[in-house]
Amino acid sequence: MHDLAIRTEDLTKSFGEIRALAGLDLEVARGEIFGLVGPDGAGKTTTMRLLSGLLRPDAGRAEVAGLDVVERTEDVRRLLGYLPQTFAMLHELTVAENIEYFADLYCIPRGQFAQRSDELLSATGLTEFTGRRADALSGGMGQKLALICSLIHRPQVLLLDEPTRGVDPVSRRDLWRIVYGLPAEDVTVLISTPYADEAERCNRLGVLVDGILQTVGTPQDLVARQTSRPIELQATEQRLARNALEKLGGVETVAVVGQALRITVRRDGPGPEEVLKALDGAGVEATEAHWAQPRLADALLAIAERCGKDG
Amino acid sequence: MRRPATLRRMLAVARAEWRHNYRDARSLAIVIALPVFLLLIYGYGINLDLRDLPFAVQDLDRTEQSADFVNRLVRSGYFTLARAIQDTREIDSVIEVGAVRFVLVIPHGFGGDLASGRPAQVQVVLDGGDSATASVALGYLQALVGDHSIHLARRWAMRHGLPASAVEPALRVVPRVLYNPELRSVNFIVPGLIAVILTLLAALLTSGCIVREREGGSFEALAASPIAPIEIVLGKLLPYAVISFVDIVLCMVVGRLLFGVAPMGDKALLLGLSLIYLIASLSIGLLVSSLARSHQVATLIAFLATVLPSLLVSGFAFPVRSMPVALQAIAQIIPATHFLIIIRAIYLKGAGVSAFAPRVAALAAMALALVLLTVRTFRKRLE
Repeated sequence: MHDLAIRTEDLTKSFGEIRALAGLDLEVARGEIFGLVGPDGAGKTTTMRLLSGLLRPDAGRAEVAGLDVVERTEDVRRLLGYLPQTFAMLHELTVAENIEYFADLYCIPRGQFAQRSDELLSATGLTEFTGRRADALSGGMGQKLALICSLIHRPQVLLLDEPTRGVDPVSRRDLWRIVYGLPAEDVTVLISTPYADEAERCNRLGVLVDGILQTVGTPQDLVARQTSRPIELQATEQRLARNALEKLGGVETVAVVGQALRITVRRDGPGPEEVLKALDGAGVEATEAHWAQPRLADALLAIAERCGKDG
Repeated sequence: MRRPATLRRMLAVARAEWRHNYRDARSLAIVIALPVFLLLIYGYGINLDLRDLPFAVQDLDRTEQSADFVNRLVRSGYFTLARAIQDTREIDSVIEVGAVRFVLVIPHGFGGDLASGRPAQVQVVLDGGDSATASVALGYLQALVGDHSIHLARRWAMRHGLPASAVEPALRVVPRVLYNPELRSVNFIVPGLIAVILTLLAALLTSGCIVREREGGSFEALAASPIAPIEIVLGKLLPYAVISFVDIVLCMVVGRLLFGVAPMGDKALLLGLSLIYLIASLSIGLLVSSLARSHQVATLIAFLATVLPSLLVSGFAFPVRSMPVALQAIAQIIPATHFLIIIRAIYLKGAGVSAFAPRVAALAAMALALVLLTVRTFRKRLE
């Protein structure tokens, strides 16, 4: 019905002196997997909580599937699936009991429940663990259970607040496989993540820093919009090299990527040769500097750094 | 369509809460062991009856009459002769160290006076540090002295060929005690204790149940679901109403088996009215739990809001009528005050509903008001 699954307008929220969200304008189309990325404290969780009616906005408005969240909170909640950042399962209850509990809260007809539950259990590989207590699950299994519970009522819009935090790589891959399948079931996903490699899997991204939406676009757009270019180099003394590079003019970001150092430089900044020369001048040993393929991680880091310098 | 959904969500919350209690060993221990434990401790600990109070005697007379008098005190069972004192200076020290609660001083000439029909005197030195015990002891002592002097007077009259009526006192009180003829304080204390224990338990049980979910994180998912506050509140109350109902039965059984105290009146009526009282008490805990920000704070506030007033202001320990007017007014808005009157009336007097109908109405109104207040103030939000 509504082409926009989520729409916010000037959405603002403060906690005392701290401004958590400052005039968020966000539009998420139906069937999208939209990623909210940004450092801790950027306002990702606040956005999720405002959308689920758990917080009241100071100003502005939010709509889910065309319904105003403040005016029609309970109607919105019926359409919404929500996986909070903190583990929200009932600890003393088993996997099966938790699923049943959420099915009851959303009043899933009994006939549909068994089929839906089996389907989600087998998709997450939890079928064998239905008798295990929630507090005895590993981090990954716990998040899979939380995902099942947030999907049991076939929500139109699913809010996932850092669902892969503290989850092992294999479980992360499993969780993402399920999330990927959701648009086909006509579920719109708003997912927040601190990981660039996960952000890359979203249809579109919104980069949130200090409560302000810095930029929106596909992962490719964000990479293409980069004004700086990455250089990778090897240094024996990584820490010394970092310090020297951070002081170097024209360098925007410095990051350690595995064994290498990865920096981004402005268009008018130094090239690989000049970087090596500058490091040599500072008495730091470095080799193999070369232009590298631009990545989403560079773009996200650059946006965060720029905001840090402005603020 | 609306009603089955409401019922289903309410039961989902109730079932989850029930399972939490059933599987959490600590919760289960509180539920079962605490009421029995408290009833034992306080049932045996709070005893207003005077038994075996230690005293000392300084017998300066050393006659048959003085020994006879001391014997009478000991035979009463209220007092135990702890020691005999020779020196007057010892009187202060034995009371000071708490070895005895009073010292009886029998002066020279006690026996001689009695033998010749003259009035004799004895002195009692009491430990006023514990004024309650001292005044009770003095009362018993005066009664015993009165009995003893009538006994002596009769003997004197017989020996002198006078009719016994010649020496009877002009006035005598003949008491007939209703409801608790032996005046055993345990009969009075146990029903009151059951009320206080239920209050404590109700507050402890529900004060944690919402704030616990807030701290544990599950509140966020619950609040984000379409459940209504009344469904949460009733769902949380239901299992605890069942649990505390079991506890009142448990308390009544323990009271019967260990203290020999059983209700004179209708047990079913008592249980039914207890349920109303439990809903009021559980709602106070729940209200606190939904407003508090941490489990510890919730427990503390619930304790202060329920247990303290029910111990001090409700008439459990001190009669409401002898309190300052302001406290009397407060007592009227405490559910425990009304329940205490009801439970004591049923236990001791075997009274029926007509004897305390206004109390039942007050209790029911409070229970309803507290449930509604809890529902109205319940916020499905995180701030």
